[in-house]
Amino acid sequence: MVFKIFLIVFSLYAIARARRQYHRREASWYWAVVWSFMWLFVIAVALMPQVTDVVANAVGVGRGADLFVYLAVIFLLYATYRSMVHQQKMSEDITELVRKIAVDRPERS
Amino acid sequence: MAFSQSPCLYMRIVAVIPAHNEGARIAAAIADARQFVDHVVVVDDGSTDETAVVAKSSGAIVLRHIINRGQGAAIQTGTDYAVKTLVADVIVHFDADGQMRGNEIPAMVAPIASGEADVVLGSRFLGKDALNMPFVRKIMIRLGTLFTILLSGIRVTDTHNGFRALSRKAAAEIRITLDGMAHASEILDLVKTRRLRYVERPVTISYSMDTLHKGQSTVKAMMTAKEIIKKKIVG
Repeated sequence: MVFKIFLIVFSLYAIARARRQYHRREASWYWAVVWSFMWLFVIAVALMPQVTDVVANAVGVGRGADLFVYLAVIFLLYATYRSMVHQQKMSEDITELVRKIAVDRPERS
Repeated sequence: MAFSQSPCLYMRIVAVIPAHNEGARIAAAIADARQFVDHVVVVDDGSTDETAVVAKSSGAIVLRHIINRGQGAAIQTGTDYAVKTLVADVIVHFDADGQMRGNEIPAMVAPIASGEADVVLGSRFLGKDALNMPFVRKIMIRLGTLFTILLSGIRVTDTHNGFRALSRKAAAEIRITLDGMAHASEILDLVKTRRLRYVERPVTISYSMDTLHKGQSTVKAMMTAKEIIKKKIVG
């Protein structure tokens, strides 16, 4: 019960934050909506966990909570991979910039 | 031209020296290398000491990285400059800390000049001495060599030796993207995948307390391995 309340409160906070960011023009309308729907989904799952059991059974997983954890692990692994690729690309871009500045300004005695 | 030993006579040889806070040792390394090459290019990799000033007054061409990007990045910067601006025929990678010997440059360049190889790799394990090399370092280098053989499939005796010579063609084929110490493995990887001809030559590396302190610790070696594996995964 405590965890259910925590999930709902945290989701409401996340939705409020997405709304605030949209109004401050720090996030686009598209991302504010996507983000809000994702947290609304979390609230729905917290209120009616039995619904996820139906979906879980349909895809061959015992419980809805297990399905949720499996999906979360897959998503996090993919997000980590994407983040690594992005970071690598950014690092290479910084090096290229530093290199260009260096090569354009050689110093001789 | 650099030295009178045919067939190197008509080749433009450029030494590339990456340097980070090497103000105390860089002058000696430049003076040593200069006798055997046409130009010395020092890439000051975001040093906070007098490295760039000392290098310039010692007769080197200095390229400054405004922030520290790592040895691999510095070597690529120097190599780019040597190939595109100085029109080098041979590029020699040389260390700033005085561990290497300039008089071994001709032997490193000779296989390229004779057309025997595109890449010449220095090795500490082909007969010449690695002076004052600690036992732990020796073991680490051997493990690193095994790691590289397993990962790249290239058989060499010394994978992390910074003393190497590249032909102009090889320098164009080898593009270092690993900015840190892992560039040495990346170079070997590219030698293998681009099917460049390579040979190893014995070189002398002298260790001092100073250079050992600055060199690869076990933690750094682990980070290097992590960087290589990450590159394999991320691409």
